[in-house]
Amino acid sequence: MILKLNPSAGHPVYSQIVQQVKHAIETGVLRDGDLLPGVRTLAQELVVSPNTVVKAYSKLEHAGLLEIRQGSGAYIVAKRRVRSRAEQTRAAQARVQILVRGLLAEGFSDEEIHRMFAAELFYDVSCEKRP
Amino acid sequence: MNDEMAIETHELTRRYGDTLAVSHLNLRVPRRQVTAFLGRNGAGKSTTIKMLLGITSITSGGGSVLGRAIQDPAQNCQLRRDVAYVAEDKRLYSYMTVEQIIRFTRSLYQDWQPAAEARLLKQFRLPPRQKIKSLSKGMRTKLALLLAFSRRPELLILDEPSEGLDPVSIEELLQEIVGAVANGVTVFFSSHQIAEVERIADRVCILDQGALLVDACLDDIRREYRRITLSFYAPPPKVNPSLPGIKQVRISGRQMTLLATENANAVAELALDLHPASIEVTPVGLREVFLETVREN
Amino acid sequence: MLWYKAWLETRSRFAASLVTLTLVCGLFVHHALTMIRPTWTVDFNRLLYITQEFLALLWILSAVLLGMGGIVYEKAVGTSGLTLSLPVSRVRLQSVRITVGVLEAAAFGLIPWLTILAVSWRARMPLVLAQVAFYAALLVGGGLVYYAMAVLVSTVVEGAYSSTAIAIGLVFVTTVALDSWFRQLNLWRFVTGNFYLDVHTFLLTGHFPWLGMLVCLGVAALMFVASLLVILRRDF
Repeated sequence: MILKLNPSAGHPVYSQIVQQVKHAIETGVLRDGDLLPGVRTLAQELVVSPNTVVKAYSKLEHAGLLEIRQGSGAYIVAKRRVRSRAEQTRAAQARVQILVRGLLAEGFSDEEIHRMFAAELFYDVSCEKRP
Repeated sequence: MNDEMAIETHELTRRYGDTLAVSHLNLRVPRRQVTAFLGRNGAGKSTTIKMLLGITSITSGGGSVLGRAIQDPAQNCQLRRDVAYVAEDKRLYSYMTVEQIIRFTRSLYQDWQPAAEARLLKQFRLPPRQKIKSLSKGMRTKLALLLAFSRRPELLILDEPSEGLDPVSIEELLQEIVGAVANGVTVFFSSHQIAEVERIADRVCILDQGALLVDACLDDIRREYRRITLSFYAPPPKVNPSLPGIKQVRISGRQMTLLATENANAVAELALDLHPASIEVTPVGLREVFLETVREN
Repeated sequence: MLWYKAWLETRSRFAASLVTLTLVCGLFVHHALTMIRPTWTVDFNRLLYITQEFLALLWILSAVLLGMGGIVYEKAVGTSGLTLSLPVSRVRLQSVRITVGVLEAAAFGLIPWLTILAVSWRARMPLVLAQVAFYAALLVGGGLVYYAMAVLVSTVVEGAYSSTAIAIGLVFVTTVALDSWFRQLNLWRFVTGNFYLDVHTFLLTGHFPWLGMLVCLGVAALMFVASLLVILRRDF
């Protein structure tokens, strides 16, 4: 699984990891039982602090999406309802694609479109509770 | 002494004549995390590190590293057993060969990792029999880093570690740092390279003119710091910059920007009372935080 | 391994000094062999005396060069951060450096003399062990003061060239100045046996100056301690 992280965004890196993993589960890229890399391996691969990976895995575990087994690693937990959500997510992704393509065609830049979405979501993100 | 902290200082001060190189520094570097020390040239980063290691004397105040008092020479000597330090200069004994300096360093520390030494020697392609004086600057830097990363100390102090390294080597260095933290090592490094700091640091301390201006968890900065840009139809009204959560107010033409360090949405609500034509809230990268903090000082 | 470092740091200087001093001995032996017996005993002794003056001068210069270096010098070349962050006390660093230097200076003082002794005996020259011992002891024992002075200068003065120049300058100034005003205290004359020389036989006579030696060693020790104190208080 390829993670794209932006350390300058207004988003802690661990929550970017959490979101991308969640998205991957929702779209079926990551399936139930898949093994995620160990903390050290992932940290060195992404070149982020191991504490970031630990926080991300911990959040995912709390959300019920990850099972950390001592000695073997971190396994994805994707329930049936999450799997069917994958369908919904793919459909929603398609709608976002149409909208974004439309905006791009109207001449809006990537950044402007980003800002519009961010402004819309601003209150949600900043209200996220701290661990 | 707090065991959670690898480094703790109390009003640490260093004076040179009339100048305060380091001013009443209260530093807290937690264990098993990556703490970055950012600051301009001459901000006092290297002086602070030297005081921690007993290389430079302390004018007033004190501190502890790994639970041992830095002002006491005997304790300082002891704590140095568990600390690996790569100086800014990264100069090594020119009369020794690569292999001699490795042997020399290895003999002085209990925490040497022969496997790491072999791996790094190969990875950095350092010729063991070559005299250090004939190594290029990049090779010397890598050798200096090898001497630190072939150990498993409790604390790793790096002063501008990526200086003189090409991008591939920098990537390798960051991976080594991250790998060390995964092994339980505390990393404290000073750097100019904001991009690197942003990638791997857990905490950031910004030092300017000897004083600690910012000491925060990087995730908190990402979560809390916001730039609020307001546009007005008419010249903007005055805003009291000392309102809680507002670090800075700047007005340019019909625009006003605020740097909010906490409760950005509360600040945004307040800003709405000014009836702006538009309001935009954007995240703030570390570079901006650094520049704004230091410029204001 | 601090000893190893100190050795690596000084071995070129040590080797160069040893070779130079042994060459001077070679010259002595060569000249001695060209002398005609039977008058040669006094001439021989005179030759020995003059040779050892050269030897002493070279030894002193070598010892001064040997005394250069150390942590303060390392500050100039940028490795003081590395050395001072090692888990060893400054006292230990300086003590090891001093000890290695003393041993090396003693070695390149004694080895040339042993060489003269060995070769002279082989060639059946009238070399007396007691004389050699006298000269060698004065050289190394008295000469240590010069080494100690060099070590002290190297801890006080930053910069390799400045400290070397000042140290050598001090050697000459004390030799010349003391000679005009305090001849009895002239270390050079002590080290070369000038005070004990019998001008008729060109032999060193009289009791071995234990007191003088003790004073020299004491002064050297004081200077070593002073260098330690300077190092302890310095910022790097």
